[in-house]
Amino acid sequence: MKASFDEGQPIFQQIAEMIEDDILNKTYGENEQVMSTTAFAKTFQINPATAVKGINLLVEEGILYKRRGLGMFVAEGAKEKILTKRKDSFYRDYVMKLLNEAGKIELTTDDVIKMIKNGDRS
Amino acid sequence: MQTVLETKNVIKNYRKTKAVRNLSIKLEENTIYGLLGRNGAGKTTLLNLLTGHKFPDSGEIKGFGKTLNKGDSLQEICYIKDNHQFFEESKVIQLLNFAAPFYEHWDWNFANELLRQFELDPNKKFKKLSRGMKSTVGIMIGLASRAPITIFDEPLLGLDAVMREKFYDILLKDYAEHPRTILMSTHLIDEISKVVEKVMILETGSIKLFDDMDTIRNKSYFVSGKSDVVESILKHKNVIHKDQHGKITIAAVFNTMSKQEIMEAEELELSVEGMSLQKFFSYYCMGGDKHE
Repeated sequence: MKASFDEGQPIFQQIAEMIEDDILNKTYGENEQVMSTTAFAKTFQINPATAVKGINLLVEEGILYKRRGLGMFVAEGAKEKILTKRKDSFYRDYVMKLLNEAGKIELTTDDVIKMIKNGDRS
Repeated sequence: MQTVLETKNVIKNYRKTKAVRNLSIKLEENTIYGLLGRNGAGKTTLLNLLTGHKFPDSGEIKGFGKTLNKGDSLQEICYIKDNHQFFEESKVIQLLNFAAPFYEHWDWNFANELLRQFELDPNKKFKKLSRGMKSTVGIMIGLASRAPITIFDEPLLGLDAVMREKFYDILLKDYAEHPRTILMSTHLIDEISKVVEKVMILETGSIKLFDDMDTIRNKSYFVSGKSDVVESILKHKNVIHKDQHGKITIAAVFNTMSKQEIMEAEELELSVEGMSLQKFFSYYCMGGDKHE
Protein backbone atom coordinates (compact mmCIF):
# COMPACT_ATOMS: atom_id res chain seq x y z
CA MET A 1 0.00 0.00 0.00
CA LYS A 2 1.21 3.46 -0.74
CA ALA A 3 -0.15 6.90 -0.14
CA SER A 4 -0.08 8.57 -3.52
CA PHE A 5 0.14 7.93 -7.24
CA ASP A 6 2.76 8.67 -9.88
CA GLU A 7 2.08 10.62 -13.02
CA GLY A 8 2.52 8.85 -16.29
CA GLN A 9 1.00 5.55 -15.39
CA PRO A 10 -2.76 5.16 -15.29
CA ILE A 11 -4.07 5.15 -11.74
CA PHE A 12 -6.01 1.94 -12.32
CA GLN A 13 -2.75 0.14 -13.13
CA GLN A 14 -1.20 1.51 -9.97
CA ILE A 15 -4.20 0.27 -7.99
CA ALA A 16 -3.73 -3.19 -9.51
CA GLU A 17 -0.03 -3.17 -8.63
CA MET A 18 -0.81 -2.05 -5.11
CA ILE A 19 -3.10 -5.03 -4.59
CA GLU A 20 -0.48 -7.31 -6.15
CA ASP A 21 2.14 -5.97 -3.75
CA ASP A 22 -0.18 -6.67 -0.85
CA ILE A 23 -0.64 -10.24 -2.05
CA LEU A 24 3.13 -10.67 -2.42
CA ASN A 25 3.84 -9.34 1.05
CA LYS A 26 1.08 -11.54 2.49
CA THR A 27 -1.19 -8.73 3.60
CA TYR A 28 -3.85 -10.67 1.72
CA GLY A 29 -3.80 -14.47 1.61
CA GLU A 30 -5.69 -16.77 -0.75
CA ASN A 31 -9.47 -16.51 -0.48
CA GLU A 32 -9.15 -13.40 1.62
CA GLN A 33 -11.20 -10.35 0.78
CA VAL A 34 -9.46 -7.27 -0.63
CA MET A 35 -10.54 -3.67 -0.15
CA SER A 36 -13.77 -2.81 -1.95
CA THR A 37 -13.81 -0.36 -4.83
CA THR A 38 -15.80 2.02 -2.67
CA ALA A 39 -13.18 1.81 0.05
CA PHE A 40 -10.46 2.43 -2.52
CA ALA A 41 -12.28 5.49 -3.83
CA LYS A 42 -12.70 6.87 -0.31
CA THR A 43 -9.21 6.08 0.90
CA PHE A 44 -7.33 7.42 -2.10
CA GLN A 45 -9.74 10.12 -3.22
CA ILE A 46 -10.08 8.57 -6.63
CA ASN A 47 -13.03 8.03 -8.89
CA PRO A 48 -14.66 4.67 -8.05
CA ALA A 49 -14.67 3.79 -11.76
CA THR A 50 -10.87 3.93 -11.67
CA ALA A 51 -10.77 1.51 -8.76
CA VAL A 52 -13.17 -0.81 -10.59
CA LYS A 53 -10.89 -0.78 -13.63
CA GLY A 54 -7.86 -1.70 -11.54
CA ILE A 55 -9.64 -4.55 -9.83
CA ASN A 56 -11.09 -5.82 -13.11
CA LEU A 57 -7.59 -6.00 -14.51
CA LEU A 58 -6.71 -8.50 -11.78
CA VAL A 59 -9.95 -10.41 -12.27
CA GLU A 60 -9.07 -10.85 -15.95
CA GLU A 61 -5.69 -12.21 -15.00
CA GLY A 62 -7.23 -14.64 -12.54
CA ILE A 63 -5.58 -13.00 -9.54
CA LEU A 64 -8.84 -11.89 -7.95
CA TYR A 65 -12.31 -13.39 -8.18
CA LYS A 66 -15.72 -12.06 -7.39
CA ARG A 67 -18.13 -13.44 -4.84
CA ARG A 68 -21.57 -12.15 -5.60
CA GLY A 69 -22.79 -9.61 -3.13
CA LEU A 70 -19.70 -9.99 -1.00
CA GLY A 71 -16.81 -8.47 -2.91
CA MET A 72 -13.45 -9.36 -4.35
CA PHE A 73 -11.24 -12.16 -3.09
CA VAL A 74 -7.73 -13.39 -3.75
CA ALA A 75 -7.74 -16.39 -6.09
CA GLU A 76 -5.84 -19.55 -5.36
CA GLY A 77 -2.43 -19.48 -6.99
CA ALA A 78 -2.60 -15.68 -7.26
CA LYS A 79 0.82 -15.21 -5.74
CA GLU A 80 2.47 -17.55 -8.25
CA LYS A 81 0.80 -15.74 -11.12
CA ILE A 82 2.06 -12.39 -9.87
CA LEU A 83 5.54 -13.80 -9.33
CA THR A 84 5.73 -15.13 -12.88
CA LYS A 85 4.53 -11.84 -14.30
CA ARG A 86 6.83 -9.70 -12.19
CA LYS A 87 9.86 -11.88 -12.89
CA ASP A 88 9.23 -11.45 -16.60
CA SER A 89 9.40 -7.70 -16.26
CA PHE A 90 12.16 -7.64 -13.66
CA TYR A 91 14.93 -7.55 -16.23
CA ARG A 92 13.34 -4.73 -18.18
CA ASP A 93 12.15 -2.68 -15.21
CA TYR A 94 15.14 -3.05 -12.91
CA VAL A 95 18.18 -4.75 -14.37
CA MET A 96 18.25 -2.69 -17.54
CA LYS A 97 17.79 0.54 -15.62
CA LEU A 98 20.57 -0.48 -13.25
CA LEU A 99 22.96 -1.22 -16.11
CA ASN A 100 22.03 2.00 -17.90
CA GLU A 101 22.83 4.06 -14.83
CA ALA A 102 26.02 2.05 -14.28
CA GLY A 103 27.10 2.77 -17.84
CA LYS A 104 26.50 6.49 -17.35
CA ILE A 105 28.84 6.63 -14.36
CA GLU A 106 31.36 4.35 -16.07
CA LEU A 107 30.89 1.26 -13.97
CA THR A 108 31.37 -2.03 -15.76
CA THR A 109 28.95 -4.92 -15.44
CA ASP A 110 31.65 -6.69 -13.38
CA ASP A 111 31.76 -3.73 -10.98
CA VAL A 112 28.03 -3.98 -10.57
CA ILE A 113 28.13 -7.71 -9.98
CA LYS A 114 30.85 -7.19 -7.37
CA MET A 115 28.72 -4.56 -5.64
CA ILE A 116 25.71 -6.83 -5.60
CA LYS A 117 27.74 -9.68 -4.13
CA ASN A 118 29.34 -7.48 -1.49
CA GLY A 119 26.07 -5.86 -0.58
CA ASP A 120 24.31 -9.17 -0.23
CA ARG A 121 24.33 -9.79 3.48
CA SER A 122 22.05 -12.81 3.46
CA MET B 1 -24.21 3.16 -20.40
CA GLN B 2 -27.26 5.30 -20.77
CA THR B 3 -26.90 8.81 -22.14
CA VAL B 4 -28.54 11.28 -19.79
CA LEU B 5 -27.79 14.55 -21.48
CA GLU B 6 -26.69 15.36 -25.00
CA THR B 7 -26.25 18.24 -27.40
CA LYS B 8 -26.43 17.94 -31.18
CA ASN B 9 -24.83 20.63 -33.34
CA VAL B 10 -25.57 23.31 -30.81
CA ILE B 11 -24.72 26.90 -31.73
CA LYS B 12 -25.00 29.92 -29.48
CA ASN B 13 -23.94 33.44 -30.40
CA TYR B 14 -23.93 36.60 -28.35
CA ARG B 15 -24.18 39.42 -30.88
CA LYS B 16 -20.95 38.95 -32.78
CA THR B 17 -19.33 36.51 -30.38
CA LYS B 18 -19.60 32.85 -31.26
CA ALA B 19 -19.85 31.42 -27.75
CA VAL B 20 -20.60 27.82 -28.70
CA ARG B 21 -19.92 26.47 -32.17
CA ASN B 22 -21.57 23.37 -33.48
CA LEU B 23 -21.14 21.40 -30.32
CA SER B 24 -22.15 17.76 -29.99
CA ILE B 25 -21.50 15.92 -26.77
CA LYS B 26 -23.02 13.08 -24.79
CA LEU B 27 -22.99 12.73 -21.05
CA GLU B 28 -23.58 9.30 -19.57
CA GLU B 29 -25.15 8.19 -16.34
CA ASN B 30 -23.01 7.66 -13.25
CA THR B 31 -19.92 9.47 -14.46
CA ILE B 32 -17.98 12.43 -13.10
CA TYR B 33 -16.93 14.85 -15.82
CA GLY B 34 -14.44 17.69 -15.63
CA LEU B 35 -15.00 20.65 -17.92
CA LEU B 36 -11.77 22.51 -18.61
CA GLY B 37 -11.06 25.51 -20.75
CA ARG B 38 -9.38 28.86 -20.64
CA ASN B 39 -11.25 31.97 -19.60
CA GLY B 40 -13.81 32.83 -22.24
CA ALA B 41 -13.73 29.37 -23.84
CA GLY B 42 -17.49 29.05 -23.47
CA LYS B 43 -17.71 26.83 -20.37
CA THR B 44 -20.41 28.78 -18.60
CA THR B 45 -22.41 29.23 -21.81
CA LEU B 46 -22.31 25.48 -22.37
CA LEU B 47 -23.47 24.82 -18.80
CA ASN B 48 -26.26 27.38 -19.18
CA LEU B 49 -27.38 25.67 -22.37
CA LEU B 50 -27.30 22.19 -20.85
CA THR B 51 -29.45 23.30 -17.96
CA GLY B 52 -31.99 25.25 -19.97
CA HIS B 53 -30.89 28.61 -18.58
CA LYS B 54 -30.04 29.65 -22.13
CA PHE B 55 -31.54 28.42 -25.36
CA PRO B 56 -29.36 27.58 -28.37
CA ASP B 57 -29.65 29.53 -31.65
CA SER B 58 -29.71 26.21 -33.42
CA GLY B 59 -29.16 22.57 -32.66
CA GLU B 60 -30.78 20.31 -30.16
CA ILE B 61 -30.39 19.49 -26.49
CA LYS B 62 -31.84 16.29 -25.10
CA GLY B 63 -32.21 15.27 -21.50
CA PHE B 64 -33.05 11.62 -20.82
CA GLY B 65 -33.98 11.26 -24.48
CA LYS B 66 -36.42 14.19 -24.44
CA THR B 67 -35.75 17.31 -26.52
CA LEU B 68 -35.64 20.47 -24.45
CA ASN B 69 -37.76 23.30 -25.76
CA LYS B 70 -37.33 26.93 -24.92
CA GLY B 71 -38.12 27.48 -21.27
CA ASP B 72 -37.81 23.79 -20.38
CA SER B 73 -35.47 22.73 -17.67
CA LEU B 74 -35.05 19.25 -16.37
CA GLN B 75 -36.21 18.42 -12.89
CA GLU B 76 -33.39 15.90 -12.68
CA ILE B 77 -30.72 18.61 -12.93
CA CYS B 78 -29.27 20.59 -10.08
CA TYR B 79 -27.22 23.50 -11.41
CA ILE B 80 -24.94 25.45 -9.10
CA LYS B 81 -23.80 28.62 -10.85
CA ASP B 82 -20.56 30.33 -9.98
CA ASN B 83 -22.14 33.74 -9.43
CA HIS B 84 -24.44 32.36 -6.76
CA GLN B 85 -27.75 33.95 -7.26
CA PHE B 86 -28.91 33.37 -3.76
CA PHE B 87 -30.96 35.95 -1.92
CA GLU B 88 -28.40 37.98 0.00
CA GLU B 89 -30.64 38.67 3.00
CA SER B 90 -31.48 34.99 3.57
CA LYS B 91 -29.95 32.85 6.24
CA VAL B 92 -28.10 29.73 5.13
CA ILE B 93 -30.84 27.50 6.56
CA GLN B 94 -33.48 29.44 4.64
CA LEU B 95 -31.57 28.89 1.40
CA LEU B 96 -31.50 25.16 2.09
CA ASN B 97 -35.20 25.15 2.97
CA PHE B 98 -35.88 26.93 -0.26
CA ALA B 99 -33.79 24.57 -2.39
CA ALA B 100 -34.88 21.24 -0.87
CA PRO B 101 -38.39 20.90 -2.39
CA PHE B 102 -37.01 21.26 -5.93
CA TYR B 103 -35.09 18.00 -5.73
CA GLU B 104 -36.75 14.65 -5.48
CA HIS B 105 -33.73 12.96 -3.93
CA TRP B 106 -32.80 15.73 -1.50
CA ASP B 107 -31.37 14.30 1.72
CA TRP B 108 -31.72 16.42 4.84
CA ASN B 109 -29.51 14.17 6.94
CA PHE B 110 -26.76 14.66 4.41
CA ALA B 111 -27.41 18.41 4.25
CA ASN B 112 -27.04 18.70 8.03
CA GLU B 113 -23.90 16.60 7.91
CA LEU B 114 -22.51 18.97 5.27
CA LEU B 115 -23.32 22.00 7.43
CA ARG B 116 -21.25 20.44 10.17
CA GLN B 117 -18.41 19.33 7.88
CA PHE B 118 -18.09 22.71 6.23
CA GLU B 119 -18.46 24.50 9.56
CA LEU B 120 -21.28 26.70 8.33
CA ASP B 121 -23.53 28.52 10.77
CA PRO B 122 -27.04 27.88 9.42
CA ASN B 123 -28.31 31.09 10.98
CA LYS B 124 -25.83 33.36 9.30
CA LYS B 125 -27.06 35.59 6.51
CA PHE B 126 -25.69 34.79 3.08
CA LYS B 127 -24.36 38.31 2.58
CA LYS B 128 -22.30 38.01 5.78
CA LEU B 129 -20.43 34.96 4.50
CA SER B 130 -16.90 35.10 3.07
CA ARG B 131 -16.33 34.27 -0.61
CA GLY B 132 -15.31 30.72 0.21
CA MET B 133 -18.23 30.19 2.56
CA LYS B 134 -20.59 31.39 -0.16
CA SER B 135 -19.13 28.70 -2.40
CA THR B 136 -19.77 26.05 0.24
CA VAL B 137 -23.47 26.95 0.31
CA GLY B 138 -23.61 26.11 -3.40
CA ILE B 139 -21.63 22.93 -2.86
CA MET B 140 -23.94 21.85 -0.06
CA ILE B 141 -27.05 22.34 -2.16
CA GLY B 142 -25.47 20.56 -5.12
CA LEU B 143 -24.43 17.57 -3.06
CA ALA B 144 -27.51 17.29 -0.85
CA SER B 145 -29.77 17.46 -3.92
CA ARG B 146 -28.42 14.07 -5.02
CA ALA B 147 -29.83 15.08 -8.39
CA PRO B 148 -29.28 12.52 -11.18
CA ILE B 149 -27.35 15.26 -12.99
CA THR B 150 -25.50 17.76 -10.85
CA ILE B 151 -23.66 20.58 -12.58
CA PHE B 152 -21.19 22.82 -10.78
CA ASP B 153 -19.70 25.90 -12.40
CA GLU B 154 -16.41 26.62 -10.61
CA PRO B 155 -17.60 25.17 -7.29
CA LEU B 156 -14.31 25.76 -5.50
CA LEU B 157 -13.81 29.49 -6.00
CA GLY B 158 -12.42 31.09 -2.89
CA LEU B 159 -12.12 27.84 -0.95
CA ASP B 160 -8.90 27.16 0.91
CA ALA B 161 -6.95 23.92 0.42
CA VAL B 162 -8.44 22.27 3.51
CA MET B 163 -11.98 22.94 2.36
CA ARG B 164 -11.21 21.78 -1.17
CA GLU B 165 -9.79 18.49 0.12
CA LYS B 166 -12.93 18.11 2.19
CA PHE B 167 -15.05 18.69 -0.89
CA TYR B 168 -13.25 16.00 -2.95
CA ASP B 169 -13.45 13.62 -0.03
CA ILE B 170 -17.15 14.08 0.60
CA LEU B 171 -17.97 14.12 -3.10
CA LEU B 172 -16.25 10.79 -3.76
CA LYS B 173 -17.66 9.15 -0.66
CA ASP B 174 -21.16 10.20 -1.53
CA TYR B 175 -20.74 9.40 -5.20
CA ALA B 176 -19.52 5.89 -4.38
CA GLU B 177 -22.72 5.28 -2.44
CA HIS B 178 -25.05 7.28 -4.67
CA PRO B 179 -23.66 7.22 -8.21
CA ARG B 180 -24.95 9.98 -10.49
CA THR B 181 -23.76 12.22 -13.27
CA ILE B 182 -21.66 15.12 -12.10
CA LEU B 183 -20.21 17.77 -14.38
CA MET B 184 -17.96 20.47 -13.01
CA SER B 185 -15.98 23.22 -14.57
CA THR B 186 -12.79 24.25 -12.83
CA HIS B 187 -9.36 25.78 -13.23
CA LEU B 188 -7.94 23.58 -10.45
CA ILE B 189 -6.86 21.02 -12.98
CA ASP B 190 -4.44 18.82 -11.09
CA GLU B 191 -6.76 18.63 -8.12
CA ILE B 192 -9.63 17.18 -10.08
CA SER B 193 -7.55 14.81 -12.17
CA LYS B 194 -8.03 11.93 -9.74
CA VAL B 195 -11.65 12.74 -9.11
CA VAL B 196 -13.05 12.91 -12.62
CA GLU B 197 -13.44 9.98 -14.96
CA LYS B 198 -13.75 11.95 -18.17
CA VAL B 199 -12.33 15.26 -19.24
CA MET B 200 -13.73 17.74 -21.70
CA ILE B 201 -11.56 20.58 -22.94
CA LEU B 202 -13.40 23.48 -24.49
CA GLU B 203 -11.68 26.03 -26.71
CA THR B 204 -13.39 28.97 -28.37
CA GLY B 205 -16.74 27.27 -28.14
CA SER B 206 -15.67 23.90 -29.54
CA ILE B 207 -14.66 20.64 -27.95
CA LYS B 208 -10.92 20.31 -28.34
CA LEU B 209 -10.66 17.06 -26.46
CA PHE B 210 -13.11 14.69 -24.79
CA ASP B 211 -11.49 11.62 -23.33
CA ASP B 212 -11.03 9.36 -20.35
CA MET B 213 -8.73 10.76 -17.71
CA ASP B 214 -6.83 7.47 -17.72
CA THR B 215 -6.29 7.65 -21.47
CA ILE B 216 -4.92 11.17 -21.27
CA ARG B 217 -2.64 10.18 -18.40
CA ASN B 218 -1.41 7.24 -20.41
CA LYS B 219 -0.72 9.35 -23.50
CA SER B 220 1.05 12.38 -22.09
CA TYR B 221 4.77 12.28 -21.48
CA PHE B 222 7.81 14.44 -21.16
CA VAL B 223 10.74 13.14 -23.19
CA SER B 224 14.01 14.91 -22.56
CA GLY B 225 17.66 14.58 -23.41
CA LYS B 226 20.03 15.45 -26.23
CA SER B 227 18.16 17.44 -28.86
CA ASP B 228 19.02 15.34 -31.91
CA VAL B 229 18.16 12.10 -30.12
CA VAL B 230 14.86 13.54 -28.88
CA GLU B 231 14.04 14.74 -32.39
CA SER B 232 14.76 11.39 -34.00
CA ILE B 233 12.86 9.30 -31.50
CA LEU B 234 9.81 11.57 -31.65
CA LYS B 235 9.74 11.94 -35.42
CA HIS B 236 6.38 10.23 -35.72
CA LYS B 237 4.93 11.34 -32.42
CA ASN B 238 2.54 14.12 -31.65
CA VAL B 239 4.71 16.70 -29.90
CA ILE B 240 2.57 19.42 -28.32
CA HIS B 241 5.35 21.50 -26.83
CA LYS B 242 9.08 21.79 -27.06
CA ASP B 243 11.63 23.59 -24.92
CA GLN B 244 15.18 23.77 -26.10
CA HIS B 245 18.03 24.77 -23.81
CA GLY B 246 21.36 24.53 -25.56
CA LYS B 247 21.87 20.92 -26.58
CA ILE B 248 19.00 19.70 -24.46
CA THR B 249 15.38 19.42 -25.54
CA ILE B 250 12.38 18.78 -23.34
CA ALA B 251 9.44 17.67 -25.43
CA ALA B 252 5.87 17.22 -24.32
CA VAL B 253 4.31 14.32 -26.18
CA PHE B 254 0.65 13.50 -26.58
CA ASN B 255 0.78 10.00 -27.96
CA THR B 256 0.79 6.50 -26.63
CA MET B 257 4.27 5.15 -26.03
CA SER B 258 4.63 1.43 -25.63
CA LYS B 259 6.85 -0.06 -22.94
CA GLN B 260 9.18 -1.06 -25.74
CA GLU B 261 9.39 2.51 -27.05
CA ILE B 262 10.02 3.91 -23.59
CA MET B 263 12.74 1.34 -23.07
CA GLU B 264 14.39 2.23 -26.36
CA ALA B 265 14.31 5.91 -25.46
CA GLU B 266 15.85 5.18 -22.08
CA GLU B 267 18.59 3.12 -23.71
CA LEU B 268 19.45 6.19 -25.73
CA GLU B 269 19.79 8.05 -22.45
CA LEU B 270 16.57 9.97 -22.78
CA SER B 271 14.34 10.42 -19.82
CA VAL B 272 10.65 9.64 -20.15
CA GLU B 273 8.34 10.93 -17.46
CA GLY B 274 4.63 11.27 -16.92
CA MET B 275 2.98 14.65 -17.16
CA SER B 276 0.43 16.24 -14.86
CA LEU B 277 -2.96 17.09 -16.33
CA GLN B 278 -2.36 20.77 -15.71
CA LYS B 279 0.87 20.78 -17.73
CA PHE B 280 -0.83 18.78 -20.43
CA PHE B 281 -3.73 21.22 -20.51
CA SER B 282 -1.58 24.32 -20.81
CA TYR B 283 0.63 22.88 -23.57
CA TYR B 284 -2.32 21.42 -25.38
CA CYS B 285 -4.24 24.68 -25.32
CA MET B 286 -1.18 26.77 -26.11
CA GLY B 287 0.38 24.83 -28.94
CA GLY B 288 -2.47 22.68 -30.04
CA ASP B 289 -2.41 19.39 -31.73
CA LYS B 290 0.07 19.50 -34.58
CA HIS B 291 -0.04 15.86 -35.44
CA GLU B 292 -3.72 15.28 -36.03
